[in-house]
Amino acid sequence: MKVDPITLEVIKGAFRYITEEMGIALRNSAYSPNIRERMDHSCAVLDSGARLIAQAEHIPVHLGSMRLAVQQGLQYYEGTLQEGDQMLFNDPYISGTHLPDMTLIAPIWYDGEVIAYVANKAHHSDVGGKVPGSLPADATELFQEGLIIPPVKLVTDGGMDRDIVSLILSNVRTPQVRMGDLRAQMAANNLGMSRVLELYREHGIETTDAAVEELMRYSERRVRAEIEKLADGVYESEDWLEDTGMKGRAANIKVSINVKGSSIRFDYSPTALQVEGPLNAPLGVTLAGVYYVLTCVTDPTIPINDGCYRMVEVCVPEGTLLNPKRPAPVCGGNVETSQRNVDALLKAFAKICPEKVCAAGQGTMNNVCIGGIEPKPWTFYETVGGGYGGRPGLDGMDGVHVHMTNTMNTPIEALEATYPLRFTRYQLREDSGGPGEWRGGCGIERRLMLLAENATLSILSERNRIPPWGLYGGKSGALGEFYILKPNGKLIKLKSKCTQSMTKGDILIIKTPGGGGYGDPLRRKPELVLGDVIDGLVSEESAQEDYGVAIVDSEIDWKATERLRINPLLSDT
Amino acid sequence: MSTFRIGVDIGGTFTDLVASDKETGVLTNIKVPSTPVRLADGVISAFSRFLESTEPAEIELIMHASTIATNAILGQTGLELPKAALITTKGFRDVLAIGRQRRPELYNLFGRKPRALVARRHRYEIEERMNPKGEEVHPVNLQDLQKIAADIKREGVDSVAIGLLNSYANPGHEKQVKEILEKALPNTPITSSHEVSSEYREYERISTVVVNALLMPIVSQYIHDLVDEMTELGVSAPFYVMKSNGGIASGDVILSSPVTMIESGPAAGVVASAFHGELLGIENVLSFDMGGTTAKAGLVKSGKPEIVTECEVGGKTHRGRITKGSGYPVRVPFVDLAECSAGGGTIAWIDEGEGLRVGPLSAGASPGPACYGLGGEEPTITDANLILGRLNPAHLLGGKMRVHKELAGKAIGEKICTKIGLALTEAAMGIVKIANSEMGKILRMVSVERGHDPRQFTLIAFGGAGPIHCCALAEDLGISSIVVPVNPGLFSAAGLLAADLKHDLLRAVVKDVTEIDSQAVEKTFQDLETEGRTILEKEKVEAENMTFIREFDARYNGQAYELTIPAARPFAATELEKTIDEFHERHREVYGYAAPEETVELVNARLTVIGLVTKPKWQEAPLASEKPAEETISARRDCFFEDHDQWLKTPVYVRENLRPGNRIRGPAIVEQYDATTVIYPAWEAAVDRFGNICMERR
Repeated sequence: MKVDPITLEVIKGAFRYITEEMGIALRNSAYSPNIRERMDHSCAVLDSGARLIAQAEHIPVHLGSMRLAVQQGLQYYEGTLQEGDQMLFNDPYISGTHLPDMTLIAPIWYDGEVIAYVANKAHHSDVGGKVPGSLPADATELFQEGLIIPPVKLVTDGGMDRDIVSLILSNVRTPQVRMGDLRAQMAANNLGMSRVLELYREHGIETTDAAVEELMRYSERRVRAEIEKLADGVYESEDWLEDTGMKGRAANIKVSINVKGSSIRFDYSPTALQVEGPLNAPLGVTLAGVYYVLTCVTDPTIPINDGCYRMVEVCVPEGTLLNPKRPAPVCGGNVETSQRNVDALLKAFAKICPEKVCAAGQGTMNNVCIGGIEPKPWTFYETVGGGYGGRPGLDGMDGVHVHMTNTMNTPIEALEATYPLRFTRYQLREDSGGPGEWRGGCGIERRLMLLAENATLSILSERNRIPPWGLYGGKSGALGEFYILKPNGKLIKLKSKCTQSMTKGDILIIKTPGGGGYGDPLRRKPELVLGDVIDGLVSEESAQEDYGVAIVDSEIDWKATERLRINPLLSDT
Repeated sequence: MSTFRIGVDIGGTFTDLVASDKETGVLTNIKVPSTPVRLADGVISAFSRFLESTEPAEIELIMHASTIATNAILGQTGLELPKAALITTKGFRDVLAIGRQRRPELYNLFGRKPRALVARRHRYEIEERMNPKGEEVHPVNLQDLQKIAADIKREGVDSVAIGLLNSYANPGHEKQVKEILEKALPNTPITSSHEVSSEYREYERISTVVVNALLMPIVSQYIHDLVDEMTELGVSAPFYVMKSNGGIASGDVILSSPVTMIESGPAAGVVASAFHGELLGIENVLSFDMGGTTAKAGLVKSGKPEIVTECEVGGKTHRGRITKGSGYPVRVPFVDLAECSAGGGTIAWIDEGEGLRVGPLSAGASPGPACYGLGGEEPTITDANLILGRLNPAHLLGGKMRVHKELAGKAIGEKICTKIGLALTEAAMGIVKIANSEMGKILRMVSVERGHDPRQFTLIAFGGAGPIHCCALAEDLGISSIVVPVNPGLFSAAGLLAADLKHDLLRAVVKDVTEIDSQAVEKTFQDLETEGRTILEKEKVEAENMTFIREFDARYNGQAYELTIPAARPFAATELEKTIDEFHERHREVYGYAAPEETVELVNARLTVIGLVTKPKWQEAPLASEKPAEETISARRDCFFEDHDQWLKTPVYVRENLRPGNRIRGPAIVEQYDATTVIYPAWEAAVDRFGNICMERR
């Protein structure tokens, strides 16, 4: 059956809009600041064969893994799901991402048959396990990371199963909030179900299904056309995780990309074996990285659905960092390894299409989790943005999340009203953006003081030893740093992955990495360097040494600048 | 001598002046081209025209909707933003630049964040600190402040914003800083965050005060220019400005809070719908305005426009939704509006994957749609409507504008048909269908997304193009009645005449209902009422015309966003239970579930202060016969209807000749000077005593 282009456009818009509407429902009725304020959740609609039809622009690491999650999850209930059922799970080896991400899937029934699915994934700020926030940097097995939920019918006949709910709530630190968030996930699916049903009723099953097929073919055509534009060849690259948690060892991600006609193959065979610590990335996370980068370098306006991936082959041997075997710990895979995977991929694409990529961004999410039991049990989780990589023609953005995440910060006023914390600084870091013709974005410095007697801090971060790289002569961004400043003035440097106790009056200092620069900094317009100096984002020293721009009393000394730029070594004298 | 009330609405293309005769209700209209570079010029030229036949002393009242604030934020030429400074708590000067740390576009490696509206070099930090309970942790360092004042003076800053952490809980430090700065910088406008928004969330509050600071010099110049030039014309009537909240405020009040007038124009359309609904005894109205470049949807529930408490301005929109993080948040009440790029001039095109797309580009007024013959080669929605027989094939604007159907056909043929192999009719119908589906979405956004069932609403369709598309939209949303007002093109301007004075006041409460001291809450509301009364007295409102509406923002303990529910006046302990019930009910309405076992938290006490304005009279006539007179039909032409999937011979009526009481069965077309109404086959229309076309689905 052929669907006319108009109906097609209408159905395409409707599916996309349904996923957006689901996201709004989820966000608005959720309890946790992590979902309400930071929007750490994603929604999608899939067809009866569990192929992705549409998704809203939420969190790339969730979205790229959704298809796999639904396909694997459904295998557990092959043919036994009833009308009114919804299935919940968080097992990373099924859902494709770490335990805090709870996936809820609802089949949509029409005349006794499943015509489609809606699904959403939300990051719960605690799912039990050894540390508040469920991101233990020293985990050696999955069981330490929290409650593992295999696919279960959380919702039967439209209502929540009390036994399952109470089992879950007994295993988490903030049950009331978890309950609110689970209800919100259900509300989002309920809304999605009724909207999808309306759409099918309006256009009929045959037409809607045919439109779905055509939409997938449409996206496939467009992605293929974009890949055709890339020069055939094999392109390799490598990047490193500096510290995989347990023994401070580094591990590499090595990928070779083979472009051939309109197809593309990603081979991760030479990548490191799985590691003892929690930096392993489940396959879903790895695929999410590939899909994300592919979308970025082809055309982000192409509607994302199953068709976008038909020309993509990804080879990741089992037992490696990017496709570990159960029960390897994985909590950091979503948040850290996923970012390094993107860095490695972008580095390879820099060889294929340098005009379409950026230098490395901060490459970490800087997961900070603080929790305690006084005055009542609390868990505070946040991720802190940093510098974005420089791009040809554009500086990197300052103080943003890069690539695989796009969560918002939680307002300081909301945090101070909720947790025993007082923030003392939230600023961009001077000289953290990698020098380049197009400067890397600046990292952030955030400081917070503990007002309660005791708390447990855990940090899961990267790029504290190996900085974000620059491209084409651009220099690296600054490294990330973490400290505790004791009330007596003593400064303790922390590792990028640690669990640490804090006592009243301690100040946690978080300094996030800057982005790498793009292009030779000596070619940066001196006026731009001057502007950064006046704004306090670049120091006069860096202006002179990195950019070859001499600044005296907030003005450019053009003669000295010319000398410096002809012979940069002069700046040393 | 007559007495007139004037509504002046500046639109993208035209500035409309509507004068209502207080005694007879007769409306006079004047349309002049808008003057974007200096908006006041268009207004003054409209007034000059009006005064050709009227004495200045006959003008009693002026209500004005202006795009000055929006244009300034969007960086309109000639309206360069002034140099502003921000004073904030030590350690936090980058809150404004970091924002919510989000990238506006997920998959775009070349995306940008909006540029901070105050340069980093002009963001000053001052040592001071309050905690969230409003207790002082560190007093204001006065030495810092003196240094900052000197620096601001030296830098030649035009306007100053003050935004300190936790000032929502205690504005003491902001007040202190402002007082000292006012002495040090006597000629510089200064505004502090608690004055424009006293809610928590520092970025949004600081962003709001910064936008206010930037607009103060611009709006003040604008209003002073207008008042001066009107005085020269001899006009001395009181001057009011439409705010984004759908109420008006005196020019003086706007000077200190220009941030409240950003959506001045679009709000007027929704207010007009609310008033019109009231006139017709319709409480629930979906307001739909479609002009040359955009379509806007709003919603009126129980006679009141729906309000949202925050909006992002100057950003990008994607399918009616603002791309979060692409603009500047402003946290003051806005009439809830959704917008999409669909107007008569919106261009249809074929994308790289051979998909038919409509918008966001527009051919504007020049060159305009291809059928205008002014050099436009791109097919637009107007061209599609012309091909489908919905618009007059020879001329528009009552004969003033010639149109060329063959040019419309050529544009659609070359740019659409040949590329994807569609016949002309199919392609034209496709363009209209796709535009309709986008417009259906914005109507859903203001209704379904907010928990309202559109089937319980009447659609009021206006703007030049609204009445062409209203039947298709109503069918899409399951709406069964539509009203097309007498002058669809002037509806917004006329709406100004119906607006009341309206101010929004707020205090943070933030307490579980179990811990609420109802006497303290009552005291808070009374303080707000005193504050409100003072403003209205300044605006010369008599005590008997003052109304106060109390509300709470509430949430379940642990949630991070609030819902607004009514609060009793006076508020006593006995009312608490009712308040809690209302919250559960509202939560169920909006999110589909309630959690009665959870504790409810009251976050803010809100007071809406209203100064009632006498409403204009509306002209009406007794009902005549049901059958329209023969001469009302000017022609019969073939018109394509998608529900029949064929061409139907359709009578064309002249709106000016229709009489109250006349009934028309669809399919039919009604043409008038600035609009065309298309009545679909399944619909039947009746002209009511005011001259509105009221349609019902058969």
